[in-house]
Amino acid sequence: MADRYSFSLTTFSPSGKLVQIEYALNVVSQGVTSIGIKATNGIVIATEKKAVSTLIDDSSLEKVSVISKNIGMVYSGMGPDYRVLVNKARKAAQAYKRVYMEEPPTAILVKEIASVMQEFTQSGGVRPFGVSLLIAGFDESGPWLYQVDPSGSYWPWKATAIGKNMVNAKTFLEKRYNEEIELEDAIHTAILTLKEGFEGQMTENTIEIGVITGSPTVQEDGVVVLPEFRKLSPNEIKDYLANIA
Amino acid sequence: MEYNGGAVVAMVGKNCVAIACDKRLGVQAMTISTEFKKIFQATPKTYLGLPGLATDVQTLAEKFRFKINMYKLKEEREIEPRTLAHLVSSTLYERRFGPWFTEPVVAGLDKNNNPFICNTDTIGCINFAKDFVVSGTSTNQLYGMCESLWEPDLEPEDLFETISQALMNAVDRDCLAGWGAEVVVITPDKIITRTLKSRMD
Amino acid sequence: MDALVSKYAHSSASPLDSSEGFSQAGFDAAQQFALPMFDIPMVSNPIDFLRAHTDPSAENRIRIQHGTTTLAFKFQGGIVVAVDSRASGGSYIASQTVKKVIEINPYLLGTMAGGAADCQYWERELGRRCRLYELRNKERISVAAASKILSNMVYDYKGMGLSMGTMITGWDKTGPALYYVDSDGSRLKGERFSVGSGSTFAYGVLDTGYDFDMSVDDAIALGKRSIYHACHRDAYSGGSVNVFHVKESGWEFKGNFDFDKLHWDYQAQPKGQIV
Repeated sequence: MADRYSFSLTTFSPSGKLVQIEYALNVVSQGVTSIGIKATNGIVIATEKKAVSTLIDDSSLEKVSVISKNIGMVYSGMGPDYRVLVNKARKAAQAYKRVYMEEPPTAILVKEIASVMQEFTQSGGVRPFGVSLLIAGFDESGPWLYQVDPSGSYWPWKATAIGKNMVNAKTFLEKRYNEEIELEDAIHTAILTLKEGFEGQMTENTIEIGVITGSPTVQEDGVVVLPEFRKLSPNEIKDYLANIA
Repeated sequence: MEYNGGAVVAMVGKNCVAIACDKRLGVQAMTISTEFKKIFQATPKTYLGLPGLATDVQTLAEKFRFKINMYKLKEEREIEPRTLAHLVSSTLYERRFGPWFTEPVVAGLDKNNNPFICNTDTIGCINFAKDFVVSGTSTNQLYGMCESLWEPDLEPEDLFETISQALMNAVDRDCLAGWGAEVVVITPDKIITRTLKSRMD
Repeated sequence: MDALVSKYAHSSASPLDSSEGFSQAGFDAAQQFALPMFDIPMVSNPIDFLRAHTDPSAENRIRIQHGTTTLAFKFQGGIVVAVDSRASGGSYIASQTVKKVIEINPYLLGTMAGGAADCQYWERELGRRCRLYELRNKERISVAAASKILSNMVYDYKGMGLSMGTMITGWDKTGPALYYVDSDGSRLKGERFSVGSGSTFAYGVLDTGYDFDMSVDDAIALGKRSIYHACHRDAYSGGSVNVFHVKESGWEFKGNFDFDKLHWDYQAQPKGQIV
């Protein structure tokens, strides 16, 4: 009987659920943990990056992605699905820039991505994305950290975690987070949170960190320059890890 | 531009901007209306001037009203004059090979109350200016008037006088523009709209 | 250099300003009535050449003052002539104070529409011929004859780009006379004419308010008002209104009225009965 409702993802079950979306969330909860923390002067997003085999060249693996100048993104769940979303997000950002000649505000880009993910819960011949996203952006209204789920729902967070270890990680963050936290502290906290559920050795090659910090500035000609999202290099991560140990 | 006639000018003052237009609608030589609207309020502190082919003026005014309202709903904020200028530019360039026959002018104060003015050609090439922009059939005359009358840091009332004199004397040397004028001065705390009497020939 | 200039400066026809006709021993009276001679383009077919270069659609057209409203009408008190005063080159207003009524002599008036220079030149030439006629015949030329001289003169240049639409008015033995003459060669006798881009508007007012038995003051007011309305609606007419009254003793200038003042004066007046 339950199979009848799992067959079509656009059909509600009698209990009011769309089981395909639940399954997608299951994929996410088995995925690698990702952390995001919003600080007073920026945001950090981080995730584990573990190759299934030591033979894989992990230097080209990328889980934290730059979407536009001032927006970055990380995921928990299925890598291939994430790549599709990264492409769509980058295109959406450029389409916005083509019209307005400025970077999209974080909320606008999040809505854009969320609406794509929602469409995949209601269209024929497709399945929902097996990923949850953490999107970090800094615009004229300040730093923003959003989570987007396979259903297309999204929320802004001060700090959150998604993936395998999210329950524990969130509890950890609740204890460590405070309103006055600055980015340097937030990066430490993010690493520590990841470390909680980390299996094996945490090195600069097994985690990825993206940060955005600064404040928007107005040029002489009136053009607003936004802070830039960037990924930390292995060397920078190494320094942070050294400080923690 | 010459089919219906009309002129628009915008100027920067001290913490204020002004935009003005004539009120003529003609069909070539024949004056049809002397109450034709050419400047439109885009946001509380931004105006859009659309001189040119009347049918395109009205169509674009509605198109931009739609786009500006959608922007406001989506982004939960008013569009900045600079952003509007780029929106106007992209909208016009979409019709690169069959252009809208209008040369829009954007004038307003941004969220920090800094003056902003610009105009574009019919296919969306933006001209940012720090002093004044002119558009429509009386551009030559308006450039002459603005070059001689405009000075930096005019207070709202002086800016009103300057832009009014510039426009009125310019259209008095243009067969296709005039028949009354409308002036809007935008300041951080109020908008002054005035209708001018001018020669009706 | 001088040699070069003299080589190319000569005209194929005898030049208009040559002194031959006046100072040489062999004086030829008929030459006074010969057509003025102009340098014409030295091409095999000057008419085709000029047509191509003076056509309204030609890009390199040189012409100012095309838009105009002029009118003249007969009534019991003679003739009223009223004109606007705008000169335009393209859509640019070159002048708002043009005299579009040409005073040919104290009994003859001509109006100006089309090319300003053409009207001015040919009507002055007409004045010269009328004066010669007067001297020879010891009486004033009739308006019919004067207008025909003008018509015949410009007809010789048909197709070469002359542009004029004029009304010749005056008072002769037959009383008041009014003719329309244009550069296409038309010459029409009539009671009421209006010429120029604003003529349709002027006709509307003129025909509505016209009455042959009207007083001189009313006729002047009607002429003024007709030009006023044309100036308002026609982009290429404006400036001010010049009014003349032609009567038995010759023409009389009735005044120059600025459009702006007329407009606000008329606006303040109650609207007149139409029906």
